[in-house]
This record gives sequence, structure tokens and C-alpha cells, in this order.
Amino acid sequence: MLNGERIEHVSSVGTRFAPKAFGADCDLIFDHSVQFFRLSPMKRALIFVCIGLLAGSTSTFYAQQSAPAASPVEPQAPPPAISGRPSPPAQAVVPVPVPIAPPKPNGPIQKSLVRITATAVEPDYKAPWNSGGIQRGVGAGFVISGNRILTNAHVVSNSRYLTVEREGDPNKYPATVQFVAHDCDLALITVSAPDFFKNMLSLKLGGIPALESTVSAYGYPIGGERMSVTTGIVSRIDFQLYTHSSVDQHLAIQISAQINPGNSGGPVMQNAKVVGVAFQGYSGDVAQGVAYMIPTPVINRFLKDISNGVYGKYVDLGITFSKLQNPAQRRFLGLKDDDRGVLVSTVVAAGPSAEVLRPGDVLLAIDDHPIASDSNVELEGERADFQEVVERKFNGDSVKFDVWRDKQPITVTIKLYTPWPYLIQGHSYDVRPRYVLYGGLLFQPLNLDLLEAYRPTDLRLRHFFEYFVLEQLYLQHPDVIVLTNILPDPINTYLAPYRGGIVDEINGKKIRRLDELANAFAENADHFVIRMIGDGPPLVLDRNRVESARERIKARYNVLKEQNLEEQPVPKTTEDQKKI
Amino acid sequence: MRQAKSKIRISKAASYRAPDRVGVLFVTLGVFLVMATGATAKKEPPSPASMSTQKQLALVRVNVTGQAYDYFRPWQKKAPFSKRALGAVLSKGRVLVTADLVANQNYVELERAESGEKTAAKVEVIDYEANLALLEPTDKAFLDGITPLDIAPDTVVGDRLAAWQLEPTGALLATEGLVTTVQMTQYPIEVGQFLTYRISIPMQYRENSYTVPLVKNNKLAGLLLRYDSRSQLLDAIPAPIITHFLKEAESRNYRGFPSAGFSFFPTRDPELRDFAGEKGKGGGVYVTNVEPNMPAMKGGLQVGDIVTAVANNEIDQNGNYVDPLYGKIEFTNLLTAHAYSGDVVPFRIQRSGKPMELNVTLEHRDAKDYVSPPYNLDQPPAYYVLGGVIFQELSRQYLKEWGLNWQREAPQRLVYFDRFQSELFPEGNRRVVILSQVLPANTTIGYDDLAYLTVTRVNGKEIKSLADLADAVKQPIEGFIKIETEEDPKQIELDAAQVAAEAPVLQENYGISALHRLD
Repeated sequence: MLNGERIEHVSSVGTRFAPKAFGADCDLIFDHSVQFFRLSPMKRALIFVCIGLLAGSTSTFYAQQSAPAASPVEPQAPPPAISGRPSPPAQAVVPVPVPIAPPKPNGPIQKSLVRITATAVEPDYKAPWNSGGIQRGVGAGFVISGNRILTNAHVVSNSRYLTVEREGDPNKYPATVQFVAHDCDLALITVSAPDFFKNMLSLKLGGIPALESTVSAYGYPIGGERMSVTTGIVSRIDFQLYTHSSVDQHLAIQISAQINPGNSGGPVMQNAKVVGVAFQGYSGDVAQGVAYMIPTPVINRFLKDISNGVYGKYVDLGITFSKLQNPAQRRFLGLKDDDRGVLVSTVVAAGPSAEVLRPGDVLLAIDDHPIASDSNVELEGERADFQEVVERKFNGDSVKFDVWRDKQPITVTIKLYTPWPYLIQGHSYDVRPRYVLYGGLLFQPLNLDLLEAYRPTDLRLRHFFEYFVLEQLYLQHPDVIVLTNILPDPINTYLAPYRGGIVDEINGKKIRRLDELANAFAENADHFVIRMIGDGPPLVLDRNRVESARERIKARYNVLKEQNLEEQPVPKTTEDQKKI
Repeated sequence: MRQAKSKIRISKAASYRAPDRVGVLFVTLGVFLVMATGATAKKEPPSPASMSTQKQLALVRVNVTGQAYDYFRPWQKKAPFSKRALGAVLSKGRVLVTADLVANQNYVELERAESGEKTAAKVEVIDYEANLALLEPTDKAFLDGITPLDIAPDTVVGDRLAAWQLEPTGALLATEGLVTTVQMTQYPIEVGQFLTYRISIPMQYRENSYTVPLVKNNKLAGLLLRYDSRSQLLDAIPAPIITHFLKEAESRNYRGFPSAGFSFFPTRDPELRDFAGEKGKGGGVYVTNVEPNMPAMKGGLQVGDIVTAVANNEIDQNGNYVDPLYGKIEFTNLLTAHAYSGDVVPFRIQRSGKPMELNVTLEHRDAKDYVSPPYNLDQPPAYYVLGGVIFQELSRQYLKEWGLNWQREAPQRLVYFDRFQSELFPEGNRRVVILSQVLPANTTIGYDDLAYLTVTRVNGKEIKSLADLADAVKQPIEGFIKIETEEDPKQIELDAAQVAAEAPVLQENYGISALHRLD
């Protein structure tokens, strides 16, 4: 049943802060300082702005003044050497040891950095006809070529109004989102004010910084309107879950520079070039000194993707694979003892590899890069997962595989696109939730946002969510339609036990999508007999009674609209749909 | 005096405790004793509990040492446990305890309360589902001089029952409580619904207090099933279930409580009643599921029927009948407490508005007749170790290895299979074989992280039990054993010769006494 209890989600969002983990802590602080807005987990930046103001802006002032250090901060370093600025009030100052470092190796970042204030309306999955809570948050962004400002998608997601500020200018400039890529947490915004970009310098993108090399992060964390700089080294380069969507994994670079809410969207620099966009990290109680930035290959891919005017999303092979490290398994498959190849385990029917690859195939090379048995390839001198080759491609591009099938080598080419079933397992933004309300019964398609709103403990619902792709449940249920809630009325007073059920058919007709459910209820039948998946009894509605109650329910619960079918449509025309 | 007594008692019961903690404890216990004995001593006229003045209490101590099987290392047993409890002495030299107490026992010992005299005992009959067991002392004369307890079958809401415990001296410690509800609940094994007394009682429920008899007018009214010390509510296995168990235990071949094998839903919803063809305000429950090859199906019951009467007792829309003793109570009581396996029970039903009569011949459903057996006690689990890969059959006993919160802690996919087994495996008559874990070895390089996978085929042969798997591994494909799984990676292979050659090393390294055990 759906209820308010917490469940352990499979998704690993829990421990990462990127858009989430600071939420709980911030709640209180935010409520005390700005009572008008409710806290948005996403917009943690603003909260930290508040803390900064309360705790004393002097510490931020110090941070701003200290030039990025060439080496990590040493504990025994002398007290801060400050020049050209009056000393801040002594009582608020916490002495921060700052080493003496060469002056501003990255140039005048102030001329490129902007502070973004976003007012967002987050959808309310429990009352989807409402517009949801209004929240405000602050993040960073920076100017790149073409009078564009690059930032994180999570800074501008669900935004209804954006303003941009720059150093040394008292004005707030209204801004608009040009492109947003939720799957890689990047967005481009622009300011229409004619003179805004006149005195701004656009930053150049660099490459992947070397391990252990020093980088500086710029942004507006924990306190205020003045730029902050932190430094650290490059700790690790690996694939990471991007928690904004919490279903996408891309290359990410772990750095030891302090990154806090408010850094989001800010540039991470090395040698006066952008080497990444700060975007997520662990909350302090999980791991310390672990922050992540989006590296330039991901940024460049985003910029290239939008060059045709639309963001086409990341493409995916739609397969799962296993490493081939067991000698007996290699011999069984007839492979040489050369540490090459991975085994295809599942081929997603709605993905581009369907009918090209088969379970049991061994992938030996991708675009002529040999795949090692631990799934790595060598790309530009670095070892990376072979999927990085696919990561760099675009919708409609092809990828070539050397495949070992039935002990014979073959070559296959796969035309890439984005398989849709994964999308329900990630967060969605900038969409109004889909739903149908009929007779006070609220039907909604299952997705991650729905699960997080209701936190159901129902085993079947969780199974349908987790195995939606791997067990190809979407073939039967492209929308997993859940009776999530019941607005009590005399016509549904006995129906509470049906809550949490998944609709299977209505009046003997299979219901696969939300619009089919809406159509079924629009039919002129005496009764609607709704069968849920499993052993439960049918849910029977008397159409005349429901019709007579509709206006009453709408008025009593202030329901503005009884259904919303379109804002987040399941694709109906893409190639994958034909196979269903 | 009381405090001194309690001190001895505590140090005996929990001799590992530090002296200062004993001090703290006996104060609370002292209070408890004052309350308990005070209540019994001052009450006029004497309450049932105060009848304890009889010379030989019909109680014996039961000391149990046992070992549960270790489902994570199924070739071995866990560390031994010991439990101390009380048994109710019944006629014919039998001692009644809960099944919980003696499940997985290695050694059971009876101890006379007043003399400390001991004898070994054996478990004569055990019913895990009803949570009852009968013990018999090996020394037949051991219980001589004890007047056995009769059964008080007529407890109703509002009655006062006394919980009998023993002082270290062998004297009675009685606490009185009020029966607040008589209802159908699930017992710990979670098979079927059984009649239960709920009693509000301020008992000090200590560790190892397993079987506490509940007594009314010197007769046995129930046995403690569970106690919640916060709410001070005790659930008891009631006399009617005990009587049922004893009656059936008389027969040579104990069959267990019957079940019908269908699920139902209330018919309060007029739309559902209308849909099922039930006009008017009549009672009955809607049949939502009929399990294959179970008595209800054999008797002709169908999904969508409305059951209006069972054993000539009318059922209301909520599924209750009017019991002469308890008033309204769920009709499943008619099928457990009142009926026996083999009984033919008449069902009155409405099918599409037409009244019909069916006869359902009740049967006990054995744990082994489930796809995922609900319990497996006193029996070693089956397993098969193949070159470091461990195969087991899915069972709730295995899932319960994750502890009290197993439904949340155990691998969710396996919990899903267990919960929806009749829906997912309607054909029944099979097991789900899982690859439960992998012990790192030369044969399993690269497979170390695999766990909780369901096995579909081995060497191309469909696997519906460990016996199937044992047969299939004997026929390798060109020297390899191919294991296919429902989940990723879908297939793994082992070198049959290498598996055989390295088996001794594997057994040595991981202390595996035997590489497989089949039913």
C-alpha cells in the first residue's frame, strides 16, 4: 500500500548531496531566515547564502581574497596575508591559514562569473493539478563564447524566473534558459540586456586535467554575493552517477577542492582555462573532501549536441554486459586467452541494440578500440569504460562492434538513439506530472518522482520500478498506472484497499498507457470494472454515480483539472515503439 | 526477604550480569513481585491465581539446547542456543510447550519445579504452524504426583486469566490479566489465521521465558504466544487451538491444521456486490483467488464467487460469523479451530447471483507443498556446492536469515518471489533454485560478486529443484557446466574437471563438510 513510511530505495541518491542531501539540514535554517519560501532540496545554495550572512560575511571575504593556492592548504601556514583591503571586524573572524601563492593564475574570473538566482515551481505529485511549491535558489554560472552562460541544469530546473548578477554591478538582469540537458546536468542561459556581455570575458574550455594537478573552483557557496575560490587537486577520473537525473552515469572528475551548495554551475579552472563545472559532492557525514565536476568532454558534447538548435540527449546502447574474467567461461565461449571481450547479458528491446546484439554475444572491439575483459578501452592514452565511446556520440550516429558470436567473429553496426524506458527511473524536470482523476481516484504513471513523493512500501510497485527495464516490463506496461490516492467521497468510500494497485485492464481491455485509461473512462458504459495486477478483487465503478459526483469532488478538493495526459508523453512514434 | 529471593533468582537466570546491574534489576523485580503476590494475596474472594496453594503445581521447567541450521553456510549449524521455559503438565504424562521453544532442539530436559529433579524428554508431536508441541519424559514416572491440568475451553472477553511462572524455589508466581479481545491473527510462522486471546497483563517478560501457561480456575486456558512489554499486551494460543492439537495428536499420524486454499475480500462495497450478482443486503465474502490443487478448488470454488455461509454459519459482509462463545469473529475460525483435515465442510455461495452449495474437503497443506516453503525447522536445508558456487532452494526460512526485518532487509527480488509465489508460479510443484553466493576460488574467478540469482537452466536442462540441478551437472557440455540465470549475467560456466579436481581444496579452505545435501 502507499503510505508515508520510508522505504529504502534502490537508487543510490541517498548518500550524495548533489541536488539532495543538504535538504534536511537546510530546512531549519531556511525556515528561520526566509519564511516565505519552502525549502527546495535543489536550491540548497540559497540556504547557504543565508548561513553565510548570519555567520558573518567576513569569512567569505577572506576566502575571496585568498588567491588560489598552487598547493593544498597547509595546516601550519601563517595567518592570512591580506593586501589592499581593510581588516574585517575581529570578533567574527576565524583565522584561516592561507599559504602565499602566485597571484590569480586563472585571470580575472570576476569578469566571467555570474551569480544566478532561480525561482522555481516544483511539481506536486501528490496533488498534480496544483502548481506546487515556489522555491528560490542561488547558483553560479560563467560566460562562454557566443554571449552564453553555462551552468548546471539543477540550478535552473523547473525555473519560472531567472536573474543574473555580476561582480561590481548592482543590477539584476532577467535571464532565459536556452538549452537544458538534465541527463548531464548542464544548461545554457542568456541575458537579453544589450550591454550585459559587453564587459564580460568569455572563458575557454581546457582538457582533462592531470591527476594530482591543482584546480580552483569559483562560485557563491556559503555566504553571499561575492565570489569564493577554493582549490584542490584532481583526485580521480571515473564514471559517476549524475544525481540530478539519478539514472545517468557519465565521466566525472573528483577533486579535493571544497565544493558546497552555491558552487553549482561555477567553473573549475586550471591555467586560465575551464576544466570542469562544479556540480555534486558527498555530504560531510558520508565522505569529506570529495567533490565532483563535470569534465570538458561532457561539456563539449553538450555544446556540440545543441549546435543544431535542439538538445538530443545522450544515446545509449540499451544493453547490460558482464566482464569476462573467468578462464573457464572464456574457454567455453571459444575465446583466446588475451583478456579481451565482455559478455552481453541483456538486450533492451526498446534500445538500439535490439535485433543487432544478442545475449551471449561477446563484444571484442568498439569502433576498432579493443575492449578488455574488464570492459575498459584505451582512449587518448587513458583507460576508460568502453561505453565512453558511445557517450561521445549523438542521436543518429553509428557505432561499430567486433562481435564474437557462436565462436565466429562478426561485425555489427548500431544506429544510436536514447531508449526511453530508462527515463521513468530518473528524475524529470520542467514537466507537469501526468495523471487522471476519476471518481476521486487518482491514477498516475510510476516514475522516480512519484516514488519519492509517496514512498510506497508495496513490494509489487517497487518490483515494477526496479525491473521495468531489465525484465522489459514496459513491453506490457509502457505506463505502469498506479492508483496512488483517493479523494474521499461517498462514491469511493469502500475503495481504500485498492490504493497502490497497478491497473491492468478496464472492462476487459488492457490498459497500457495513461491516455488509454482516460479513453476507457470516457466510454459510455454502465460500469467500469478495473482489474489490478495480482489477485485482488476488481474495482467496480458505477458510471452514473461517478458522473454525478465529478463536480462535487472537483469543488471539494479544489481540483483545477481532472487530467493531464500530455506534458510528459511516453514517446509513441520512435522506432522502439514499433517493437512493442 | 523478597528482595533476597529475587536476587538469587536473577543471578541464576542471568548469571553473566555484573553485580551492580543485578542490584538495579532486583529492585524492579521486587516491585513486580509485590504487585503480583499482593494482588493475589489480598483479593477476596480468591482469584483463580490464588489457587496456587495446591501442593504439586502442574508445571515443570523445560530446558532446551538446540542449534538452528545456518542458511548462509548450509553445511553447518549455528552456535548452540539454550532456552528455559515452563511446560504445562497434561494428562497421560505429556507436557505442553510452544513449538517455538523446541524447534531445532538437540536436547530437551524436564525439571521438577520443587525438587530440581531432571529427566530427558523427547518431542512427541510438534505443529509449527499452531506453535504447539507435546513432550514426553523418558522416565515415565517423572511426572508422578502431579495433578495434570485440564483445559478450560470457554474463555471469553472480560475473563481474567493468570499467567503462571515459577520462583526459583519452585513456588508459584502468578500475574493476572484481563482478556480484552478474541480474534483471528497470524502466528509467528505466518501460515493461516488462528484464534488468539489478547490479554492486558503487566508481566515482566524475561529473556528465555518461552512457554508461560495461562490459567483460569486451575485449568489451562492458553499458552503465551508473544508479549509486548510496552503496551503490556499478551497474545495467547487459546484453549480451542490447544484442544484441536491434542485431539489430533491422539491419532497416530498427525496431519496438522486444515486449510481451504482461497483468498477473500469483504463485500461492503455495493458496486462490487452488484458486480458479483449479489443483490440486496446479504452477507458473504468475495473470492479473489483460489489456489491450484487446494481443497477449495477441488470443491469447485471459483474466483468471483461470494461465500455466504461456511459449515452452516452465515457470514457477514466483513467475513465474520456469529460464534456462540465469542460473538462476531472471522469465519476462518470455522476452518482452523473447528474443523479437521479430512472434514467435509459445506460452503454456501452465490455465483452470478445464483445460490449454490459446495462441499470442500479440508486438507492440511504441508510446508513442502509450497514453491517457497514458509518454514523449515528441525530439517537440514538442501544445498549444492559446485566449485565455490552455492545453490539453494528459495524458502522463507532462508529469507528469515536476514533477521526480524527480513521483509525489508533480504534481497527484495527474492522476497517478491516468496510473497507472490502462487501468482508467479501457478503450476506449483516446484522450487526456485537460487545461486545464493559464491565462495572465491580458482573456479570462480570473476564470479565473486554474484549472489541471489535465480537459476533457470543448467547444461540446457530446466531447473525446478536442487535435484534437477544435481542431475543436470552430471552432464557437462564439452567439459563445461553451463549455468543460466534469470538475472544478469544470464550465464556462467565452470570447468567440470577443474571443479572436481579442486573440490577437496575448497572443502578444506571453507570447512565444507559435504558438498551437497539434497532432500
